[in-house]
Amino acid sequence: MKINVVKSVLDASDAIAAENRKQMDGAGLLCINLLSAPGSGKTTLLQATIPRLGGGASSAVLVGDLQTTRDAERLGPVAAQVTQINTGRGCHLSPEQVAEGLRGLDLSAIEYLFIENVGNMVCPAAFDLGEHHRAALLSVPEGDDKVAKYPTLFQGASVILLTKADLIGVLDFDIGRVEADLSKTNTGAPLIHLSSKTGEGMDAWLAWLREAKAAHGAG
Amino acid sequence: MSIAVELLRAVERVAAENDAVAVDRIELEVGVMRMIVPEALRMAWSVAAEGTLAEGAELAVTEVPLKGRCRDCGTEFAPGIDTYLCPGCEKADVEIVEGNDILLRSVVCRGADEEGAEGS
Repeated sequence: MKINVVKSVLDASDAIAAENRKQMDGAGLLCINLLSAPGSGKTTLLQATIPRLGGGASSAVLVGDLQTTRDAERLGPVAAQVTQINTGRGCHLSPEQVAEGLRGLDLSAIEYLFIENVGNMVCPAAFDLGEHHRAALLSVPEGDDKVAKYPTLFQGASVILLTKADLIGVLDFDIGRVEADLSKTNTGAPLIHLSSKTGEGMDAWLAWLREAKAAHGAG
Repeated sequence: MSIAVELLRAVERVAAENDAVAVDRIELEVGVMRMIVPEALRMAWSVAAEGTLAEGAELAVTEVPLKGRCRDCGTEFAPGIDTYLCPGCEKADVEIVEGNDILLRSVVCRGADEEGAEGS
């Protein structure tokens, strides 16, 4: 017998993502999912960002990696709460893992929750974790062709951060190419040139975060 | 692999609701935004289904193209996977409305009375 159904296979996963979002909304916090290749500077960016958020803002990080607690150890001194999620063989964080991570955090004490996804430009883009915004990072050493090569990662981002921007001019990197590719992929998200090392662009990034937080609170 | 496991759960539910004892074929629609390689999914599926009532079931995958709605002017159009330019206003600020789902469309299975018969 043939049974016709119309059933979303990822219903369960999407339902957990929606539940995560609801829980975070209830606590009044803003959740940003950071997506990028490994080594693009997600952890370094958070180390530079969290202390500068200031104003009594309390930040937490859920950090996903296949192995080790190295990122959590780096973030421990700056963030109020940090949870490392080891995905083992998993190439992206799942909404279930985030739900588990949320259970270990005191959400009422958090204003900003950063999810540092597993470094990977493909799979993380396909999974909603319940975040309010996605930030896509592209570091200058990765090359200027990545927006064209991994468009789905950039298409769904609310903000695009060009990290290690102090290396523009040092490396053979054509910013015009990135801008041209983004003009076809995502014109809604601002492109911020950032260097965690020199501090370039930090003000613009912090302003973006504060605006997103304010808009979220108002909504 | 996680998708194959979710799929197996969904198929097992449908089979249980219909008192099936074996599953022969599954039709699945996959949105291109999910970045699934059908061959890879079939491979993962054959592993996930091993030892279950769906072992050996054929997995037919149809890809669903993207459909987007411009957040700026509201035009609905079919973006390419690498270009999201709105034909209405030339901006690229698109909300994906189709091509982001993985839908189970049908399950061909056998009840206890049909045991051993080939599924149609």
